[in-house]
Amino acid sequence: MSKSLLINPSALEAGLEAAFAARSKTSEPQAAAFQRFSKLGFPNRRVEGWKWSDFNAALRKPQEKGKKPAAGEIPLSPFAALHPVEIRIVDGQYQLPEGARPEGLRFRLIDPSGTIPEFERHPMAMLNVAMTGKALGMQVVEGAVLNRPILIRHINTGAGFTFAQTLLRVSKNAWAQLIETYEGGGAGFYSHLFHTVVRDGGRLDRLVLQDTGGDAVVHGICAAKIDCASRFDQTALSTGARLARHETHAHFWCEQSSARLNSAALVSGGRHSDFTSDVIFKAEACETRQLHKGVAKDRGRNVFQGKFHVERGGQKTDARMAANALLLSDDAEANHKPELEIYADDVECAHGSTSGALDEDALFYLRQRGLDEASARTLLVEAFVGEVIDGIGDEAARYIFRARVNDWLRNEA
Amino acid sequence: MSFLEIKNLHVTVDDREILRGIDLTIGQGEIHAIMGPNGSGKSTLSYTLAGRDSYEVTDGAVTFDGEDLLALDPDARAAKGVFLSFQHPMEIPGVATMNFIRTALNAQRKARGEEEVSAADFLKLIREKAKLVGLDDAKLKRPFNVGFSGGEKKRMEMLQMAIFEPRFCIMDETDSGLDIDALKMVGEVVNALRDSSRGFLVITHYQRLLEYIKPDAVHVLAGGRIVKSGGPELARELEKSGYEQFIEAA
Repeated sequence: MSKSLLINPSALEAGLEAAFAARSKTSEPQAAAFQRFSKLGFPNRRVEGWKWSDFNAALRKPQEKGKKPAAGEIPLSPFAALHPVEIRIVDGQYQLPEGARPEGLRFRLIDPSGTIPEFERHPMAMLNVAMTGKALGMQVVEGAVLNRPILIRHINTGAGFTFAQTLLRVSKNAWAQLIETYEGGGAGFYSHLFHTVVRDGGRLDRLVLQDTGGDAVVHGICAAKIDCASRFDQTALSTGARLARHETHAHFWCEQSSARLNSAALVSGGRHSDFTSDVIFKAEACETRQLHKGVAKDRGRNVFQGKFHVERGGQKTDARMAANALLLSDDAEANHKPELEIYADDVECAHGSTSGALDEDALFYLRQRGLDEASARTLLVEAFVGEVIDGIGDEAARYIFRARVNDWLRNEA
Repeated sequence: MSFLEIKNLHVTVDDREILRGIDLTIGQGEIHAIMGPNGSGKSTLSYTLAGRDSYEVTDGAVTFDGEDLLALDPDARAAKGVFLSFQHPMEIPGVATMNFIRTALNAQRKARGEEEVSAADFLKLIREKAKLVGLDDAKLKRPFNVGFSGGEKKRMEMLQMAIFEPRFCIMDETDSGLDIDALKMVGEVVNALRDSSRGFLVITHYQRLLEYIKPDAVHVLAGGRIVKSGGPELARELEKSGYEQFIEAA
């Protein structure tokens, strides 16, 4: 093997380098991407944008050995009730469903993205581009409205590192619902890159449930390009992990489009959840609503970084962001960074952030009405997160998300 | 055995003594009114009886049905039948009104060893009582008190009082911010509940609520003590002469 490109590599970085060198098939852009990653390394707290989520530190800790499941051990997804097209990515292996596919949906395994210019300075994206062997390509054809959701289950059970890429093209006037769940008791590092294009008049509703065991390190990137008069609607719920960061990069390229980017974090023990997003408004009259609610207890950490970037062409942009944190113990942490960067002069943009403990007055009110302390607390936390969950349009999916919140409250809060 | 008995009650809030030796006995079936100037300790008394933990009892005792009320948690007091109609009722975003009231009712019933009320029976009950207090269905479907006017929040307090049928009701300035029609409604709710098994402590600044709720006794609270007690005529007297004489006395 040639001299390492990395400076003072950790065991994981050295392993990554060896794995990359050992690959039989590597494209030139992948080699370039690995070189970029090598120069940047895993981001650490000294890098702006990563100061609260230090992957370098998290991945330098020795990893526990994950437990490999026996065949058939993968539990039924709660979303099975929605009769989805279920695709699994188990420890990096794609498992595509057999049988009939809904009309208008195509998918197959393809070569991964060669290069992503806007992510060239993003170490985690470059690493994903370099290391991913196969990608899942999906397309919803023009005018199709899928009658079943697509469910992608990212299941990681082992240690080490795993990479995956998924691509979804929502064609003109098409409508798709995509549900993604991050699951499994693995202790390794999982990196997933999701690209989507929502073409003119199209709509994508995406739901994300980050619900792995507490030893996992997870990094998800969603890159969404939103065309004319189209809609991207996303709600994510995270119970954290050793370190779980989900990024959303949404670009409005054309007029009259809208997005909703809602998220909720429920973190206990030493779990860490990070929702980071960046919305770029390049075209006129686009709208975004973003709401984040984070609940942290014990030594849990809830990170939210949201940025609206309105370029000169983004006149008449209407964008609002709110992030609220609830801290249920003295050692819990919330780190919020809402940002606006505006270069157009005729826009309506707002952002706000709050943090605090449970309202003692409300707690007393509920107890005066007969609720014991635990029930009163549970009701108030449920109400706090409820605003995000209530925004989910699909009733059955909303019910499943709410059940997960209630489950967390019963067991963790 | 007396119903509610307060003996030499001293209460401190944020290191300031607010109640300085209250003695008050309320018998079953009685309505007592407490009147007094701002800052005299009226709300402190109601919060203390309801069990707010930042109100520290430094001396004295309160018994309810012969039991030490101060030893109970707020929810245990509620289950015993102690109800506080708040002076400033909370808005609680995200909490569904009907679900909350039903959960509270069933929590109280469960604590008393009674059967829970079914969803269907509860719906019937809340509709009937909502009509009595003048709240429409749309208000019941909103998150608790969110976007309600002051008067509507007071109606929501009366709705809960009518549903829970508490044995001892503390009404902390329920009349403030209410128009004449709403005052009448409060009177109707109280008079419908009034019987030989219940007691009421009505805290007010003004005599006008007492036109609708006839008290058995009226007390003047000033400087953290009851400085005068009498019959309903005392309220009328206060309306004329004001509290000044008592502020000086305290």
